[in-house]
Amino acid sequence: MTLALFAQYVMNGAMLGMMYALVAVGFTLFFGVLDVIQFSHGDVLAAGAFLALGTWVALTKLGVVSPVLLLAAVVVVSALGTALLGAVFARTLVLPLKGAPQLNVLLVTLMMGTVLREAIRLFYPGGSQPQLFPALLPTTAYGVGGFHLRLDNAILLMAGALLIAATHFFITRTRIGLAIRAVAQDEETARTMGIDFRRIVLVTFGIGSALAAVAGVMDGLYYNEIFFGMGLLLGVIGFAAAIIGGLGNLYGAILGGFLFAALQTIGAVALPFASAYKDVFAFAVVIAIMAARPTGLIGERASERV
Amino acid sequence: MTREGRERLAQALAIVFVAGLSLALREDDFALFLVARVLIVVIACLGLNVQFGYAGVVNFAGATFFGVGGYMAAVLSRGTGVPHLFILVAGGIAAALAGCVLILPVLRTRGHYAALVTIAFALLFRTFLEVNDSLGGPQGLKLPELRIGPWRFNEPIALGRFEASFLLNYVILALFLAALAFALVVRVDRSWIGVQLDAVRLDETSAAAFGIPIARAKITAFTLGNFLAGVAGALSAHMVGFIAPNNYSFGESLILVSILLLGGIGNPWGLPLAAAIVIVLPEQLQVIQEYRYLLYAGLVILILLFRPNGLVPRPLRRLGGA
Amino acid sequence: MGALLRCNGLTRKFGGVVALDGLDLQVEEGEILGLIGPNGSGKTTFFNVLTGVFPATSGEARFGEMPITNFSPQAVYQAGIARTFQRSRLCLPLSLFDNLMVGNHKNLDHGLWFNVVRRRALKRQIEEGRKAARELLELFDPPLAGRLFEPASRVPMIDRRRIEICRALIGKPRLLLLDEPSAGMTRDETRRLMDDLLEARRRLGRLTIVLIEHEMSVIERVTDRCVVLNYGKKIAEGAYRQVAEDPLVRQAYLGLS
Repeated sequence: MTLALFAQYVMNGAMLGMMYALVAVGFTLFFGVLDVIQFSHGDVLAAGAFLALGTWVALTKLGVVSPVLLLAAVVVVSALGTALLGAVFARTLVLPLKGAPQLNVLLVTLMMGTVLREAIRLFYPGGSQPQLFPALLPTTAYGVGGFHLRLDNAILLMAGALLIAATHFFITRTRIGLAIRAVAQDEETARTMGIDFRRIVLVTFGIGSALAAVAGVMDGLYYNEIFFGMGLLLGVIGFAAAIIGGLGNLYGAILGGFLFAALQTIGAVALPFASAYKDVFAFAVVIAIMAARPTGLIGERASERV
Repeated sequence: MTREGRERLAQALAIVFVAGLSLALREDDFALFLVARVLIVVIACLGLNVQFGYAGVVNFAGATFFGVGGYMAAVLSRGTGVPHLFILVAGGIAAALAGCVLILPVLRTRGHYAALVTIAFALLFRTFLEVNDSLGGPQGLKLPELRIGPWRFNEPIALGRFEASFLLNYVILALFLAALAFALVVRVDRSWIGVQLDAVRLDETSAAAFGIPIARAKITAFTLGNFLAGVAGALSAHMVGFIAPNNYSFGESLILVSILLLGGIGNPWGLPLAAAIVIVLPEQLQVIQEYRYLLYAGLVILILLFRPNGLVPRPLRRLGGA
Repeated sequence: MGALLRCNGLTRKFGGVVALDGLDLQVEEGEILGLIGPNGSGKTTFFNVLTGVFPATSGEARFGEMPITNFSPQAVYQAGIARTFQRSRLCLPLSLFDNLMVGNHKNLDHGLWFNVVRRRALKRQIEEGRKAARELLELFDPPLAGRLFEPASRVPMIDRRRIEICRALIGKPRLLLLDEPSAGMTRDETRRLMDDLLEARRRLGRLTIVLIEHEMSVIERVTDRCVVLNYGKKIAEGAYRQVAEDPLVRQAYLGLS
């Protein structure tokens, strides 16, 4: 393999890893505060991407041409709108199901994902077909020894890394972040310390969903195309990443996201005769990891008082 | 009349009802197909019920084990002269063996972590089928008709003046197998094994303290469940005459799980009702074709919010009648 | 009378914490031994190590002639030790009868063939189980015998404790480990439970019991002998009156110096 091709693989893997990590962080945050898996998270991501596309369409119709303004508006509207959507889900479906069997929560959120997905397909104009996503970033390419580094990809990677760092900062260094961690640690104690539990849950779902929206926009910008079912696989992979890392652990989610992308990339590289098997390989390794580390790579040691 | 006696009567009535319904619909291919499909799905869900409902082993790859049975049947019936009755059993055995690959991670993980193991397996299997050319790739495989001795399943039935669609053959076999599987699962539930599996699901630590071999109980439940799913898959493949990876997606597995929850987890009696709703309803919603999945998903959410234990919640076990 | 249970230097560490620190302990055949000590002194850890929930870090335990150190929980049960748990651990959705039969595991046939096909034989075994359950409840708390097919979730706490003890007794263990049977009950309920227990024991023949208990009046009334733990170590041993006077014990409990 040439160095250029190798660099291409690394670039692609890093991009995938970034998106997976952003989705996985959402899963792990939700689990932290409420011990639930929000299985419509992938479809929330798709909703974010379509919200972004809709904003772009509306603004260009209104005659906005400034690329900076367009980009900013698209990202902000998508992130805020999706955050609201996530908070509404939490308020109407997830919080009322507190204390219900895990399986029920899982199925309800999955079905909510189906509702969302179908709603996009049915109600977004032309939603049943893949939609072209506009190139909002400069696509200038720099040739480095046969490898083409596109500016937009570099910006996406950087933005993703910054966002993850910002999330980390937010969770570990701010008051709300502290409250989120307190709730994740022990809901009862957090309540007695005067933390508004409901508010923290809603804020957490808002933040996690906004991250998914950004991942959705990244996906659109990277592949120049979005479609209503895009959240399905991204959601499952994000979930897998959060689990491999160890639920409730921020670093675990990020690690899991990049690990999964690495597995796919390695699968594609190492099985040149059968690169189609890359996902088979990645999921097989996931199963093996679960057998070896049943509570994730950075999982807390599950102990039970007997 | 004892409780067991009443239940036996109810089972007999259910069989008579399905048989009567199928006879009434004997010329209607589509209706018969739906009846057979409901029965087949009931068999698979009975298997999931043993796993989720009794032993508490989560399995989000129900459609995968169903698919393993289907592909096994396809490979055997295309390439060998194995009698078809054995092929159905072989489908079950293949699914049970496929499950053995997962035994270690399934035993070691709990809750969401266990869910991931089976979800990953479901996605792995689906991708594998799509990229593997020897199993037909995305286009899938065709299967020959089912034959058991002189009984040819794809021939329309004509006995004297009685005529019926060939699908009635499949309905009859599916009904027979569903009744058998139902009796098996009810018997397992109403026995020491049922008590043992419940104890394992509810509290592993105290179950172990009273000598219950946790791993063996879970393996038994997992394997038995996958076997049933595999048999159902093999029968389904023959009935449809064709299998493709699309039929065994993760989404299909979720449909099986939603049937289980709608029926009332742990209660085989709710399954036929839930399976009928989930399979027949979207077909009846054809008028509003476009919106049926939206409505269906909404309906499932409402049922789970307002009847969290399902349509027919599991009753208390009463060993020895009473 | 020989020692039924003999532990030498039994130790269990959790990370850097020594929850059980070189415990030497003997339980004589037929006695009721009280195990007392402040919270976190290692009493429950001792039960957990003994019954195989956690492996011992070092040391050994012998049950009769059998070395049971690091047996699995299942093997410890088969050897003849049954226990109750601090928090009630009944299977709440199941009937009282099912719960008792969990404890009767070693007398039941769990084969697939037996359970699915030989329904007559199974039915006979169920009848035997019901008879055993009813007999045990009759001598423990007669009204409960008529409630065998109520879910455990629907009986009050004191009855759940009774069922838990019966679940441990129905397999006819040689040694019964009771982990704070009075937890969550009123004084009066505790007294009634202990009366039942003593009465049942009298009729069952001299069952050996190790009892963890915080309620000192219970310990005083019920036990033949006490072992006091603190920080995982045995700090005193003897009849209740004797250990209650022990300055080390008073210090551990009351912080008196």
